[in-house]
Amino acid sequence: MAGQSDPHLSIFSPSEVEFVAEDEIVEIVPNIRMDALNMICGDFGPFFPQIPTKVPLWLAVALKKRSKCTIRTPDWMTVDRLTQVLEAERESPREFQPLPFHYIEISKLLFDDARDDISDAYLVRSLIEDIRDVRFHKVETGLETISGRTHAVKLKNLSAMEVNIVRPFMVRTLQAFYKHDSPQMIQQADNTGSRATPVTDRGPRRDLRRR
Amino acid sequence: MKGRVVKLREAHKAGSPALCSASWGPSGQHVVTASAADTAVLIHDAATVLAGGRGSGSSPVATIRLHKDGVTALAVAPGPSGSLASGSMDHSIKFYTFPEGEFQSNVARFTLPIRSLAFNRKGTLLAAAGDDDGIKLIATIDNTISKVLKGHKGSVTGLAFDPRNDYLASVDSFGTVIYWDLCIGAEARTLTRVAPTFRSDNSVRNVLCWSPDGQTLAVPGLRNNVVLYDRDTGEEVCTLYGDHEQPVSSFCWSPNGRYLVSAGLDRQVLIWDVKSRQDIERQKFDDRICSLAWKPNGNALLLIDVMGRVGIWESVIPSTMKSPNEGIPDLNSTKAPLFDDDDEDEEKPSTSGGLEDDIDETLSDSTPFSHKRPRRKSTFDRDSDNEDLIHQMESTKRMKDKHNKKVDAGKARGDSATSARLVTARMQAAFQPGSTPPQPGMRNFLAYNMLGSITTIENEGHSHVEVDFHDTGRGPRVPSMTDYFGFTMAAMNGSGSVFANQCKGDKNMSTLMYRPFGSWAGNSEWSMRFEGEEVKAVALGAGWVAAVTSLNFLRIFTEGGLQMHILSVSGPVVTAAGYEDQLAIVSHASDCLPSGDQVLDVKVFNISEGAQSMSGRLVLTPLSQLSWFGFSENGQLSSYDSKGILRVFSSQFGGSWLPLFSSAKARKSEDESHWVVGLDANNIFCILCKTPQSYPQVMPKPVLSILHLSFPLVSSDLGANSLENEFLMRKLQLSQIQNKMEEMAALGLDTTTYDDEAFNMEAGLDQCILRLISICCSGDKLVRASELAKLLTLEKSMKGALTLVTRLKLPTLQEKFSSIIEERMLNNKIIAGTGGFCSNATIMTNTPVLTTQATLPSKFMQDGNSSLESSLPKPNLVNQQCSSTEPKKSAGEQGIEIKDSARKVSSAFIPSTKVPKSSETKKHRNEASNAAVVDQNQEGGIDHTGAKKMSTEYCNRAEPQRPVNPFAKSSSSKEPSSSLLDSIKKMKVDKPNGRI
Repeated sequence: MAGQSDPHLSIFSPSEVEFVAEDEIVEIVPNIRMDALNMICGDFGPFFPQIPTKVPLWLAVALKKRSKCTIRTPDWMTVDRLTQVLEAERESPREFQPLPFHYIEISKLLFDDARDDISDAYLVRSLIEDIRDVRFHKVETGLETISGRTHAVKLKNLSAMEVNIVRPFMVRTLQAFYKHDSPQMIQQADNTGSRATPVTDRGPRRDLRRR
Repeated sequence: MKGRVVKLREAHKAGSPALCSASWGPSGQHVVTASAADTAVLIHDAATVLAGGRGSGSSPVATIRLHKDGVTALAVAPGPSGSLASGSMDHSIKFYTFPEGEFQSNVARFTLPIRSLAFNRKGTLLAAAGDDDGIKLIATIDNTISKVLKGHKGSVTGLAFDPRNDYLASVDSFGTVIYWDLCIGAEARTLTRVAPTFRSDNSVRNVLCWSPDGQTLAVPGLRNNVVLYDRDTGEEVCTLYGDHEQPVSSFCWSPNGRYLVSAGLDRQVLIWDVKSRQDIERQKFDDRICSLAWKPNGNALLLIDVMGRVGIWESVIPSTMKSPNEGIPDLNSTKAPLFDDDDEDEEKPSTSGGLEDDIDETLSDSTPFSHKRPRRKSTFDRDSDNEDLIHQMESTKRMKDKHNKKVDAGKARGDSATSARLVTARMQAAFQPGSTPPQPGMRNFLAYNMLGSITTIENEGHSHVEVDFHDTGRGPRVPSMTDYFGFTMAAMNGSGSVFANQCKGDKNMSTLMYRPFGSWAGNSEWSMRFEGEEVKAVALGAGWVAAVTSLNFLRIFTEGGLQMHILSVSGPVVTAAGYEDQLAIVSHASDCLPSGDQVLDVKVFNISEGAQSMSGRLVLTPLSQLSWFGFSENGQLSSYDSKGILRVFSSQFGGSWLPLFSSAKARKSEDESHWVVGLDANNIFCILCKTPQSYPQVMPKPVLSILHLSFPLVSSDLGANSLENEFLMRKLQLSQIQNKMEEMAALGLDTTTYDDEAFNMEAGLDQCILRLISICCSGDKLVRASELAKLLTLEKSMKGALTLVTRLKLPTLQEKFSSIIEERMLNNKIIAGTGGFCSNATIMTNTPVLTTQATLPSKFMQDGNSSLESSLPKPNLVNQQCSSTEPKKSAGEQGIEIKDSARKVSSAFIPSTKVPKSSETKKHRNEASNAAVVDQNQEGGIDHTGAKKMSTEYCNRAEPQRPVNPFAKSSSSKEPSSSLLDSIKKMKVDKPNGRI
């Protein structure tokens, strides 16, 4: 968390999250012959024209900007797959579909710099925005169920950007509940002399989302 | 004048800079503002805005809060009772009355945010666009989408209707401007990336603006300027270049088109006199001005900045200059030079029936429109549909006619053919490797190889040919060519490309053309015309170009166009391929067999030597045709047939074709097919095609897949097919290298460069064999294991094999292996002797060496665990057959015999024996003597093994004259066998690294 712009809020700015997402691996088709690049994060290449290679997104974007490659659309970013995901998201109001952890950032970066490499770019983009909206709506309705008896929240398949938006609220809510609960807890602890009681007193663990 | 400051007043609250828009009402009494950070659209009284919002009158006339997200676009319909349209990030467009601001209707819903809106001059059409694919043209009368204009790659940020209603201009976030012809609803002109590129940065947008007379279109330029483009030609008329330090983000024409005001990202607003192209006034603001609007009937300018603050700049043009309202072009009067609007409206529907005119027609008398009018447009739609239908029917009819004709012709031909023979199969037509069939309106490949591609597209009688290299970094840039010949075949290599066309009638005869990619002399491309003959196949190589013609002539030209050779080939050509000096030609040897198989001959010529290096039958899978033919990256002749079998020519067995790849085995699903591009020693490069297509399209650019070459092995009971395949592949590669070395040696060239490669290859092969042996042993295939052991080349691996079987407790195999080793060693001695003999060593020194070593076998018999003596010379498989001596013979006899045979074979061996380097020999001698000393001291420690390793390394180079210590073997027999096992293990571990 060293790179956070605002450590108190425990929130990353979108550009910071995007920076983290740039380490995701994508497949590119270079149009140049280039020897392997030996980076701290690993070796990439060698690159042969027209032969697909896997590189991190930042490298792909850098090469793309110099028009040295085309980026191959990840297979989850096709119209078919996204339509399926969107339908599934809509059908199951209580769970999230598995998507890449950085799907928002990856799609953003690809739409910015590699729009011409994406087939049906408009459709793909509107699908991703729809998916994002549906998922975020789920998160919002889910947060309403938090109450004083909640001491943990479990969200599966949540993406980086979604977590980042929810995190400050979630942390503070839980902190607030904890703060308001604590005198009672201390009192109880004094009464019973057992440390386990406060935990049991706080009720069963409640999942925000099942599964 | 300079000192006057325009005061801005906050209209929209914005925490951060956001794109705001502002517009005047048609009468100039009201202004409308909106901000991307605010959901409200505000209608203000112009007077209160001008007053700077002081006092109680600051509240807007109307506040509209109907959007769910920021409002990004505003447009006010012209006319006395205007209408207001707003577009928002919530993807919707809404209509309101103006100036009351009453909600009228939801116009349209997009799938992505809206960025731009524009009304045409009459307010009958609304153009809306944004991040969606396509600009929507909406008829305001009934809110129907009359057309979607698709063509922009990025989000459309600026729209402007031509005042004369012929064009709609649009600009996207990449800076591309498109003129749309409203009559036909299609792109009239595209200016690619003329404006700055903002990509997905939505806080800045490109705008564009027609001059009020419609003669020029203003677009922000790339050099912080405003560029004016001509209405009809799309050419640059002039630029307004001045004091903007950053790109221009917004501008607006004065009502008469004499002045233009521009706002830049540098927060400056400049007023230009367009005629003199100079700025006459400027002002700097605290924030960037993102929208400007000139009062329709006055000398005032409405401004809004990114913080949502609005203001009016009064008397912009100094009174000393011409008023911005003087001489407003009246497009309905005769002042418009070409034609006037009314005539146009009456004329056009009869001629072209464009959507635009139709709408105009329907409301020609009622400009103030209401949104509840019936859908009269539908009748028109049906008409146009009918028209389309008729068109379609006509064209299909024509197609059918054509088709029938073709069928008739085909029948006629077929009839004559059946009378001759009953076989349906035909001799396959000539083709170019790597070409795809032409498709109307699409590019197709004339040539596609590992280096690049040549594509062509037919366009109005002539074609456009483009040459692209895959490696854009290194390949030369080749300008595209307009081709009046209609080339149908081409070939390319690193230095040039050759084209040829078929003859089409008398006046269009077959032409051959060569274009070098680079030459020291200018104009060095050339072309040849063929009278009475037709080029059927072309190929090129290092310094030559070849064409095979319908007269079965092979014509060879030099790179400069000199006609060097003209040969006759044996039959109708199928295809040709070139690689450096070599030219390979495939021709029909005879008509098809009754079974339908093609009978093809292949010949390989060496152009520089004028020799024929190979001639034979081209092998194909039964009932298949040749579909690709060429040389691999390392110069091996290869062919690929329509049944998906790739064959590589090998000199083994006097020249034979080895099947190395099967498409049917490699494909993942039934509908996949492989379109071969090239191959190297281990891999085949191909393009995957899905069934309806058996060949790749030019767009999108095809991607190469790499697949491993593999022999079509039958499933063996060993269950190690991949290993067996590897074994065969390595053997093939080794033989290829050895061939090359022999060729080199025959030419008297230095083969040392290949030595290392060959050695690595041998080591790799041995590793593979050892693993196979171990699998054979565990599978109880002892005979196979011993056969494999015979194939081992290196001494180290022999020892490894022996240790392996010892460990696995297979005494029979152990015995067998020891005998193999003995045999091998005897052979080595002969070679060693030969080597010694050749390198002027005395026979006297050799004799003791031979005798001492000849005693070895008996020792091996006693001690199966013992490893081989380290200082043995390298055994050579090639030379293995030279000896047939029995290991049990007495030493003396052997010595004599060996000497004799050595003398006999010595002459034969001279070329293949490697000449040791003198320095190495010396060094090696030292090593060997050191080892001997250590051995004598009976210290089989680390030093010993170290020395031993060194010596094994050296023994791989045939080292003839090494003094051998007779004691050495006894100590080496004490060598712990575990170290050998380790070395095998190491080999196994090293294995993956060994592969390329």
